[in-house]
Amino acid sequence: MITGEDIHKSFGDLEVLKGIDLHVEPQEVVVLVGVSGSGKSTLLRCFNFLEMINSGKIIIDGKEINPKKDNLSEIRAEVGMVFQHFNLFPHKTVLENVMEAPVVVKKEKKEIAQKKGLELLDKVGLGDKADVYPSKLSGGQKQRVAIARALAMEPKVLLFDEPTSALDPELVGEVLQVMKQLAEEGMTMVVVTHEMSFAREVADRVIMLDKGRIIESADPVTFFENPSHERTKQFIQMVK
Amino acid sequence: MERIQTIFAIFLDTWPGFLEAVVITLELTAVSVVLGTLLGLIFALMKISKSKIFQGIANFYITVIRGTPLIVQIMFLYFGITEIVVLDAFWAGSIALGVHNGAYIAEIFRGAIQGIDYGQTEASRALGMTNSQTMRRIVFPQALRRSIPPLGNQFIITLKDSSLVYLIGVSELFAIATREAAASFKQFETYIVVGAYYLALVLIFSYLLKWYENRLDVDKA
Ligand SMILES: Nc1ncnc2c1ncn2[C@@H]1O[C@H](COP(=O)(O)OP(=O)(O)OP(=O)(O)O)[C@@H](O)[C@H]1O
Ligand SMILES: [Mg+2]
Repeated sequence: MITGEDIHKSFGDLEVLKGIDLHVEPQEVVVLVGVSGSGKSTLLRCFNFLEMINSGKIIIDGKEINPKKDNLSEIRAEVGMVFQHFNLFPHKTVLENVMEAPVVVKKEKKEIAQKKGLELLDKVGLGDKADVYPSKLSGGQKQRVAIARALAMEPKVLLFDEPTSALDPELVGEVLQVMKQLAEEGMTMVVVTHEMSFAREVADRVIMLDKGRIIESADPVTFFENPSHERTKQFIQMVK
Repeated sequence: MERIQTIFAIFLDTWPGFLEAVVITLELTAVSVVLGTLLGLIFALMKISKSKIFQGIANFYITVIRGTPLIVQIMFLYFGITEIVVLDAFWAGSIALGVHNGAYIAEIFRGAIQGIDYGQTEASRALGMTNSQTMRRIVFPQALRRSIPPLGNQFIITLKDSSLVYLIGVSELFAIATREAAASFKQFETYIVVGAYYLALVLIFSYLLKWYENRLDVDKA
């Protein structure tokens, strides 16, 4: 569904991604782990062109993207992203947050976007919050709205960058629950998280990024019980 | 005691004329703030644009306006404008104050736009919005809301600064005060009266602004 081939990305002299090859199958859930600074966020951001790669290829749904020629807004519309800090639009109600992109980007009719928006809010358990402003919500509720907002564009892939890291511990579960449900419904997902229980339970594949390289890629059982790389073992020890 | 009576007498004597002048002062202020807001928007956009030329023009304008006295700007623009087109003093004064305001309002807008969390822009882009959609629908509305308190402040400053255009013959509050003072020979008392008018206007407007800000907070906070 989304493929990166030999992706290189530098910020100035600092090479952050040193040749990443990653192929994510349709309906697959890939969890990306790695220590701080290993390039997890950068990789996700390259996948939806918030960062431009220096070399390599990105292929979405069978089509290689040429950042110079292709309309990047259209491509981003197909690759949803959920951020650590939610980034909801504070001047819009919860429902307006969810309707915004369908109406503005896809030119969907307001009534249709509203109906779909309400369905999505119901799905993340927030149907009763449609008309409140984000500032009235808890962190967990905000993140669930952010997920609904991303889903409203019917993306082919959903990228999550530490979606629960900014949450109080007691609010993490409700967000993971929604993500788990999405995974079960067959959403293709790439998830950066420190929630190892989520990786164990939900991931089809866990990938370890270290200093800009993929050093381990395995199903969760193998990854956690029998990792091949020394750095992976250390990492698993560390997060335990 | 006698002084206070005189002040009161002057007030009673002059209020019809002063009230007319209050209207002119308010019109002057409103027109120049609206003009300043338009200019401020244009120059703020130029300043945050990627074009070095636009940035240069905006920087030049802001630097010159902030680096010279308002009274010089008024004279300069008045004589400059009236050389090119026939314009009455009110409009010349409004334009001068507007051009002056524009530089300050540009900085208000620029600060507000740049103060919006970059995450807002990233989230919009990630949803497939173009740059201009992101600006129009997400960044500007939030920046505008944040600009309202400093814009209100700028309105109050302009209300007071507008007194300077009496120099080019606009019959606003201060001009009426100088006339009344000269006619009555009661300078001290007349200027107290005109000071009270300004103070009352500023207080009323400050109060309205507070009320409006509170209402915004209740809506969105
Ligand atoms: N816009 C940028 N400009 C310069 N350097 C950057 C930029 N973004 C990231 N970096 C650097 O790239 C490296 C990788 O950053 P990245 O955010 O991808 O790491 P991460 O694995 O997501 O870490 P974390 O767990 O802390 O979020 C870091 O050294 C970071 O400082
Ligand atoms: Mg990160």
